[in-house]
Amino acid sequence: MCGTCGCGESASHGHGHAHESEARRIAVEESLLADNDRDAARLAASLRARGIDAIGLVGGPGAGKTTLLEATLGRLCEPGADAVVEGDCAGDLDARRIEAAGARVAQIETGSLCHLDAHLVGHAIETLDLEGVRRLWIENVGNLVCPAAFACGEARRVVLISVAEGDDKPEKYPAILAGADLLLITKSDLLPHVDFDVAGCTDRARRVAPGLPVLVLSARTGEGLGEWLAWMRETAPPARVG
Amino acid sequence: MHEAKLCLALLRVAEAHRVRAGARRVTSLRLEVGAFSGVSPDALARAFPICAAGTAADGATLRLDAAPGRELRLADMEVI
Ligand SMILES: Nc1nc2c(ncn2[C@@H]2O[C@H](COP(=O)(O)OP(=O)(O)OP(=O)(O)O)[C@@H](O)[C@H]2O)c(=O)[nH]1
Ligand SMILES: [Mg+2]
Ligand SMILES: [Zn+2]
Repeated sequence: MCGTCGCGESASHGHGHAHESEARRIAVEESLLADNDRDAARLAASLRARGIDAIGLVGGPGAGKTTLLEATLGRLCEPGADAVVEGDCAGDLDARRIEAAGARVAQIETGSLCHLDAHLVGHAIETLDLEGVRRLWIENVGNLVCPAAFACGEARRVVLISVAEGDDKPEKYPAILAGADLLLITKSDLLPHVDFDVAGCTDRARRVAPGLPVLVLSARTGEGLGEWLAWMRETAPPARVG
Repeated sequence: MHEAKLCLALLRVAEAHRVRAGARRVTSLRLEVGAFSGVSPDALARAFPICAAGTAADGATLRLDAAPGRELRLADMEVI
């Protein structure tokens, strides 16, 4: 009998389906992330064309993403210039905070999904009035793993690691740093209370991402916010005229 | 995590190539998993047979090869 399909006949007969011995190898070489990569590139291009600077914020749960946004919006103080996409598994707590800080906001509730992707962000901004908006902030779901693989249309991606999380994080979560344009070490006001080694953390991050800019700040005290805003302005795409 | 979603993407790509090749079944798949792909090979290997059940790749073997960078790519596959 046929050893592969157990059809009870000899392997040499034609019974409408082939045997394992006839297996053919097909070269595919196709990325499973291609769909999102394409969506992200398209979204990034359309935002750029509208003169909007898109900045992605990623970090573990509670790293200080929303608090940094609140502090940043407060400092920028340009009414109408900022819009925010908030990604959380559930609820709109962060969206409410951003609204209170005076920016337009769209909340994405991802349910059990562990990251934002370009498709979700694209649909979320359809609900936003982007008239006059010059910056779009995209706060990812709190997660140091999954957002690494999914670009969201941002022109720059900022990774936040708070001093309370430990200085070993870049070594444990290298993928997220490999895609970073800036590392922010947040909650620096807590440094006296934890054994976080800023230089060590910076070294580990740069082992993954050579030359990565690293800034230390506290949204609570305002330390380092000036440097952060300067980085943002310096790396922003040139403003469009007209 | 999102390994099931990636398995579905994998099956979608494999299915397109199977149909193009005029084959009946997918018997094996070789995936290159980048160190920075944010994917756990173990979780992917566990999710795959569940996601593949009832498809043309039901029972296919999934081989995961380590790769550099963000790569997450179906390198090649075998069909009959
Ligand atoms: N001491 C101190 N606490 C901070 C600072 N920034 C944020 N926090 C606190 O850290 C907690 C989490 O801050 P969030 O800004 O909500 O963190 P997040 O990254 O947006 O959290 P998720 O969206 O849930 O992932 C809150 O209790 C903040 O008040 C800081 O600079 N210093
Ligand atoms: Mg938040
Ligand atoms: Zn995930």
